[in-house]
Amino acid sequence: MITLTHFLVVSACLFCIGLYAVLAKRNAIMILVGIEFIINAAILNLVAFGRYDKINYGGQVFALFAIVLAAAAVAVGLAIILNVYRKYKSINPDNITDLRD
Amino acid sequence: MDFSYQVSENIDHIIASLPLIKVELALAFGFLLTIAATLFLDKTWKQSSFYISIITCLGAFVILLSQYNLQSSGFYQMLILDKMSFFARSFILVSLLIACIYFQQYFKDKIFNKRKGDIYSILLAAGIGLHILTMTSNWLMAFIAIEMVSISSYVLVGYFSENKKQAEAAMKYALFGSACAAVMLYGLSLVYGFTGDLDFSSQQHIQGLIDAPKVMVSIAFLFVFTGIGFKLSFVPFHLWAPDVYEGSPTPVTAFLSTIPKIAAIVLFGRIASAWISTQFYFSDLTFLFIAVVAMVTMLIGNLIALRQQDVKRMMAYSSIGHTGFLLMAIIGYSNGHQDILLFYILAYTLMNLAIFAFISILEKQEGSTLLSSYTGLGKTYPILFTCFSFIGIALVGLPPTAGFVGKLLVFSSIFELYQSSEDPIFLALLIIGALTSVISLFYYFKIPLYAFLKNSASSEETPVASEEIPASLRGGTTKQSSLSSPSYPPSSPPPPFNILYLIGILLTILVLLLGIFPSLALNIFSINS
Repeated sequence: MITLTHFLVVSACLFCIGLYAVLAKRNAIMILVGIEFIINAAILNLVAFGRYDKINYGGQVFALFAIVLAAAAVAVGLAIILNVYRKYKSINPDNITDLRD
Repeated sequence: MDFSYQVSENIDHIIASLPLIKVELALAFGFLLTIAATLFLDKTWKQSSFYISIITCLGAFVILLSQYNLQSSGFYQMLILDKMSFFARSFILVSLLIACIYFQQYFKDKIFNKRKGDIYSILLAAGIGLHILTMTSNWLMAFIAIEMVSISSYVLVGYFSENKKQAEAAMKYALFGSACAAVMLYGLSLVYGFTGDLDFSSQQHIQGLIDAPKVMVSIAFLFVFTGIGFKLSFVPFHLWAPDVYEGSPTPVTAFLSTIPKIAAIVLFGRIASAWISTQFYFSDLTFLFIAVVAMVTMLIGNLIALRQQDVKRMMAYSSIGHTGFLLMAIIGYSNGHQDILLFYILAYTLMNLAIFAFISILEKQEGSTLLSSYTGLGKTYPILFTCFSFIGIALVGLPPTAGFVGKLLVFSSIFELYQSSEDPIFLALLIIGALTSVISLFYYFKIPLYAFLKNSASSEETPVASEEIPASLRGGTTKQSSLSSPSYPPSSPPPPFNILYLIGILLTILVLLLGIFPSLALNIFSINS
């Protein structure tokens, strides 16, 4: 029997993996993948909780919108990273440090 | 039968709610028109989308005025229209109008292989998101609006990518922003799990937060505030601000440092006033979070600003410091002082837009935003630097300016709270607020210091530098600048009269006027109906 707890544990694991990918910042694309992991962890949570909200289905609707917005944000992010690659010939955030204190 | 009855009822409700968003519909219509104009009219009339966006802002403002006395909610309480959202939206529309003019003035001499008209449609799209942000108490709407504003801002920063710095700024902004939004989404999913309701001011939501375990509430709140903190750029989510402000084109910086903050602060004010009002753990947590973050933000923003050499970077840290002050005003707001928060937002918006008008003019004339490039320019541009210094005084919070009145009102509201509750945290807020205002004196006064006082040592170099830089800039682009602005001599000692100059001076006069007669604005804001 799969309970709510299972969903929450899986989504917490996804969140931690995503957060690690973002904080390790080896590669800009890897950061985007990490962000996608975090968003999917949140979507999993929302759908799992939405099962108990039978009147408004707020969680399900929120999950749908989150998927769309994540896709839009990633599209813009990829375009910007491509632009950076043209200028720097690298997408490693550690090499791209013209702006700093 | 029952189902179909319900559907028609729902449709009736939605149709009845439509007039509430007529301002946003006007903006959306203008957005579509600017896209069409850029596609079809760009070859014949370059400025078409600029004029359409100006007309859209004006038209939306006129429509907004008809909602002045409207107090209602629609779309099943997803949108709330009240005085707060009315004033915030009017500030946003006026600032959008000014930002459009900044963009037009900045980009008119440059030639890109991309269409310039598209930036206006992106600005209008950001405007729709900002409007929604000020009108909602629903997490779904708030998240959609935040993402709308964020994605538009990423595009604005990265659209032209003239040089390496702009590309880098756009990448840092997009990655940091998406990560913060994702973490916020995770926090929202947890909050939704505790409460089963997406309206953060509803009874069910508050009850769910009261019943939830303390550790989980703390984690969820931290995650939720990450997303809002990114938009407001308070510590520790401020790291993107200096890099992005320095790297992006000056009008984009003017937009980012002002307009999204108006909307985000209104949303945060709504959250704070809904959540601080109870006696339970999560209220204490929210209050403590806002108070501590306000103190740390003021300190870090103002202290790091001291050692900046670039005006745009200095303004980034200064706006972080002002965010701390706005958070203090939010504590006042959650205790019933909405007029003080509105006045501070208004003063902050006017001051920041004015200072970026001057920075933009000087960047165009001198080709640099370094403080040292202003050396000895006080004689060349006396009016400009006088206004610049007045705005600096206003940002410090000295009389007789609107910045002084704003800070005084915030201090007095916090002092009132301290007297009634004797909580030492209010006293700490007051002390740090006053201390950081004194600190800010030192970096804002660098501008008149360089412009008026530091001319003896380098008076031989400056005329050369001020002639050489625009000349070298023009070297590569002689053709286009002679085409688009014939009235733009290489080093023009009396700067050409242009609309940026006019806006900057007008805003300075407004800041002084509101400082001398604050009741002009306060009387309007304090009407509670």
